[in-house]
Amino acid sequence: MSAPAPSPAREPVLRAEGLTRRFGGLVAVGDVSFDVMPGEIFGLIGPNGAGKTTLFNLMTGLTPPSSGRLRFEGRDVTGLAPHRIATLGLGRTFQNIRLFRGLSALENVKIAQHARTRAGLLAGVLGGAREEERQVEARAWDLLDLVGLANRAGEDAGNFSYGDQRRLEIARALALDPKVLLLDEPAAGMNSAEKHGLTEFIRDVRARFDLTVMVIEHHVPLVMNLCDRIAVLNFGQLIAMGDPASVQRDPKVIEAYLGAE
Amino acid sequence: MDFLQNYGFLIVTMIQQGLLGLSLYFPLMAGQLSLASPGFYALGGYIAAIMGTNAAFAPLRESLGSWIFPLEWLVAGVASAALGLIVGVPALRLRGIYLALATIAFVEILRVVALNLSVTGGAVGLFGVPQPFGFVDRWQYVWIFGPLLVLVLLFTARLERSRVGRAFRSLREDELAADAMGVPPTRYKVMAFVIGAVLAGIVGAMSAPFLNTWNARQGTFDASIAYLAYVLIGGSRNMWGPVLGGALLAALPEVLRPLQDWRLIINGLVLVVASLYLPQGLVGLFRRRRAAPLARPATQEVAK
Repeated sequence: MSAPAPSPAREPVLRAEGLTRRFGGLVAVGDVSFDVMPGEIFGLIGPNGAGKTTLFNLMTGLTPPSSGRLRFEGRDVTGLAPHRIATLGLGRTFQNIRLFRGLSALENVKIAQHARTRAGLLAGVLGGAREEERQVEARAWDLLDLVGLANRAGEDAGNFSYGDQRRLEIARALALDPKVLLLDEPAAGMNSAEKHGLTEFIRDVRARFDLTVMVIEHHVPLVMNLCDRIAVLNFGQLIAMGDPASVQRDPKVIEAYLGAE
Repeated sequence: MDFLQNYGFLIVTMIQQGLLGLSLYFPLMAGQLSLASPGFYALGGYIAAIMGTNAAFAPLRESLGSWIFPLEWLVAGVASAALGLIVGVPALRLRGIYLALATIAFVEILRVVALNLSVTGGAVGLFGVPQPFGFVDRWQYVWIFGPLLVLVLLFTARLERSRVGRAFRSLREDELAADAMGVPPTRYKVMAFVIGAVLAGIVGAMSAPFLNTWNARQGTFDASIAYLAYVLIGGSRNMWGPVLGGALLAALPEVLRPLQDWRLIINGLVLVVASLYLPQGLVGLFRRRRAAPLARPATQEVAK
């Protein structure tokens, strides 16, 4: 099941080794192994309920795996708390958008800079962190600019349209200064023009921030266009992995999506 | 001076109750409903009453004079922080109503312990707590509760604009998302809880001389509910809410005194009506929608 690494000289940035999660009798994710190489855009597709989001939750520490390991830059991060994993450089967005809805867009992006800043309680209250605070503010504006929301920085995140909320979630995840960005259905709720722009946007962000990107997406043309490699999950099992063209031709993938003949 | 003679006690009580309302506000900032404040308030009061009346502290009182009082506040604050950590770390694993119940249990435990110790004066309590700074009248306590309120409000306003304040609010909005964005939930929940505990402890230490006596009735379940009412009536999403709620509800029984027994009914009606029609609390009435877009600071850089 292990992926053939594109260039054997480089170390994978992420390595899943037999990740498994059972919910009672249901195997949501079963013995999934893969490598993600630095700089890759790695797609994760599969029918509804295939375990894609659960896999993201296992990787970001929100759900502890029943068994298996996850290595991030060679380090075993299995079982670490979510904020520890985030601090190491794994940023994510959520399928069911989890912005801080009652806070402004600007604050949403400021909060995610928590791990890369230091100011403690007293420094913050007594004014010993002005320079840091200024940088946090400037960076938050820059990130809102990047996703085209700087003109609405003061509005509550909950008031934004679906597509804008997805963009704001990406800005928030980027504020973490991640090495790997996990995007859970970034195109859901976007109109076709927005979807079209998303491919360019993700490529641009990857180049600008020197990122590795993992993306769950249902919109097949977008995935085929965007991703360097694709893994296909079905009923929690990894049934195919490779470049977009070969995955598209894979009979097991066709069967999973269209049903057996 | 007649006005101060008649209403000085009430005015100081309003400030004091506003401060106790604020002590609930800090955990609420981080999304935690804690009703532990009366416990820390009682602890702080006992510390001040014991240091003020116990024979063991007589030499210290002799040598420090009025400086014994700031020392009492300091000891009360430190003791409340320590107890807050001990209680907070396990209790804050609980969420919502379960945390509220656990903190009520904490208040009850402290009350029963105080009832049965001899150093706290048992069921009778401690009497004749000395007055600080040569105070001869109750209204003069404005000079210590007033500055404390101003300091706490300044502290809160600064806190809300800081990195730690943002971490608190992110937990209130969505703990799981905050965790995934690098904010350690337990650390900041405990910090918010301890800040509230320290405030309640210091207010208690200032209140023992103010009330002249201290006993186990100072930290009870009733007080937990009263402070909760301050926050509900005043509003929980703005620091002025608990202050306003505490001040108004402290004054209400006095204002309604001519109604005699009916005042309890009116008091209850106010609570019910306010919770039905003012979901944001009283400060919700004044809240202005943020109309103007945020202004971007002049200096700009390209991200990263």
